[in-house]
Amino acid sequence: MTARGLAKRFGTTTALAGVDVDLDGGRSLAVMGPSGSGKSTLLHCLAGILVPDAGTVTLRGRAVGALGDRERSLLRRRHYGFVFQFGQLLSELPAIENIALPSMLLGANRKQATALAGQWMHSLGLAGMEQRRPGELSGGQAQRVAVARALITGPAVVFADEPTGALDQATGAEVMRVLTETTRAAGAALVVVTHDATVAGWCDESIAMRDGTVVDRGVLR
Amino acid sequence: MRAVLALAPGLHRAGGKDTQLTTALGVAAFAVTTALTLSVVGGLLGFVGREAQPQTAYQAEWSDIYVILAWTAVVLLGVPLLSLGGAAARLGVARRDARLATLRLLGVTPREVVGLTLVETSGQGLVGAALGVLLYGLMLPLWALVPFQGSSFTVGELWVGWTVVLVALLAVPLLAAVSGAVSLRRVVLSPLGVARRERPKKLSVVRLLVAVVGVGTFMVISTALGAFGAAAFAFLVGGLALAFAALNVVGPWVLGLLARIQLRRASTPARLLAARRLLDDPRAAWRVVGGLGLAGFVAGALAIVPSLAASSTDDPDQQLLLTDLSTGALLTLVIAFVLAAVSAGVAQAASVLDRRREYALQHLAGVPAELLDEVRRREVLGPLLLVTVGSTAASVLMFAPWLGLTGVSSPGGMVMLAVCLTGGLLLVVGAVESTRPLLRSVLRDPVVRAD
Repeated sequence: MTARGLAKRFGTTTALAGVDVDLDGGRSLAVMGPSGSGKSTLLHCLAGILVPDAGTVTLRGRAVGALGDRERSLLRRRHYGFVFQFGQLLSELPAIENIALPSMLLGANRKQATALAGQWMHSLGLAGMEQRRPGELSGGQAQRVAVARALITGPAVVFADEPTGALDQATGAEVMRVLTETTRAAGAALVVVTHDATVAGWCDESIAMRDGTVVDRGVLR
Repeated sequence: MRAVLALAPGLHRAGGKDTQLTTALGVAAFAVTTALTLSVVGGLLGFVGREAQPQTAYQAEWSDIYVILAWTAVVLLGVPLLSLGGAAARLGVARRDARLATLRLLGVTPREVVGLTLVETSGQGLVGAALGVLLYGLMLPLWALVPFQGSSFTVGELWVGWTVVLVALLAVPLLAAVSGAVSLRRVVLSPLGVARRERPKKLSVVRLLVAVVGVGTFMVISTALGAFGAAAFAFLVGGLALAFAALNVVGPWVLGLLARIQLRRASTPARLLAARRLLDDPRAAWRVVGGLGLAGFVAGALAIVPSLAASSTDDPDQQLLLTDLSTGALLTLVIAFVLAAVSAGVAQAASVLDRRREYALQHLAGVPAELLDEVRRREVLGPLLLVTVGSTAASVLMFAPWLGLTGVSSPGGMVMLAVCLTGGLLLVVGAVESTRPLLRSVLRDPVVRAD
């Protein structure tokens, strides 16, 4: 995935002012910066949620900005996975069905999707918790379910917005280990938005943002 | 306590646009409830007045039956009216629950949480009741156009009087506060109960037993008292209220059963989500469709009327009574269906607002808005069909000892039932679909606020 010269304004506020990003499959990028630095807007533009005022985002040679709203929704469903700080799990569905849902949305039948979800739960250390509701899981367990849910469709890119924001440090580290290892193993690129340097330390590369621009770039591993 | 209660207006403002919209919906629902309740009571008082001071020979002879029929309409509409009032009180309670659960975690006492709820909900109830009185005043000239007993009522005859208005202004906020406080029991009992949603408790089969006993009692009363003629009506009306309440008890249990069947058969994401949502909270689903279920019950009871009206009689008094019976039945049905549609619309709008973060995140992750629409439609349609047909059948069965099966065996009754139920279904579906723009506006907001 590449982004060139991304710019975005909200009224008189400049959220992004010419940001470039390059990311290969299997690599992870931490986007750091204080509140209001533009890191969430960057994530939304990269993920096709917002259309930038200027600049381009290209995924596997396809210009994301040229797609209509419906096509971008489809792109997000097929090629992207998301892990948010909290709240992305549906409270009525047991863990296994939360994970199976994106696969069913892409056409898998319930049996296939549930079986695949079961495999993901097993590999992420969640075996035995299949029928638990999100409210019956700990914060760390819920985020591991979210990671499995993001990866079940084999996405090209996983976007994580403050994935450990609601967790204590030890649980947060465990979630980051699972997130980075599983996305790397799946060959997916990972974009993590965070203001926490410890969280960023789990990624291969990092960019630091301030006032909508990239002020620092680093290769961590 | 006083310091916490002083927070109420600030907390309300802090909720922003959503809270204002939820409040507006709640106030509107209280207003509709108050206006229609006053209209129905006004009708009853109108007939009581004519019984006390008859103007014509017909009124002198027949007014007592009209009063009994008016009482029947009050009972038939009582439960849907209370349901809508309850829905209004619970409106957006999940939002408020989350906020109040956080306050509990911060150390606010259960009494203070209840106090905050009382202040917020009874305030909405009072404003709604005041607007309802105004709405009732505006509707009076319309009600006065409907002819009964050979002449239309005057506005004065249908005016409930200032005492009743005062009672409404006190009772609506009080009922709102009680309903709101009851729905917050979980927060009071456990601060974590709402902050972290857990597996809902299964509804007990006792509900079914209560309903069977309620319906059975009505049937026994109506059979036993049939021989005593008009004097038995008072008991009958009481029995009817009991049976009606019984249906309200069994409704959520039946919906839970339907959800389990749907879940087993669900093969698509929309079916799976709709079934899970229904199973998660059948009471909430009943609040959406229950109004129409109760309206279906009313329709089942009134299906007898066309066949009665069609029966040829040379007696002009009998003919007038039967015509008025048809008019009254139709009015009762229209009010019941309007109440059902308003209940459904209010409950769906509240559900969209309560789930706004969930909807927005699902959409960001590529879930199409059409799927969310389909889930909402399925969530309502299955229960709606079951509840409408079930309630109508229950009502025909319950009234069978008293009225026989004329209502459903005569073409007139069948046509009336079919038209009413189809119309009612379309009204409720329309009310649910009318919340689409609200969902779209929720989905358009890309910045998902952490609640």
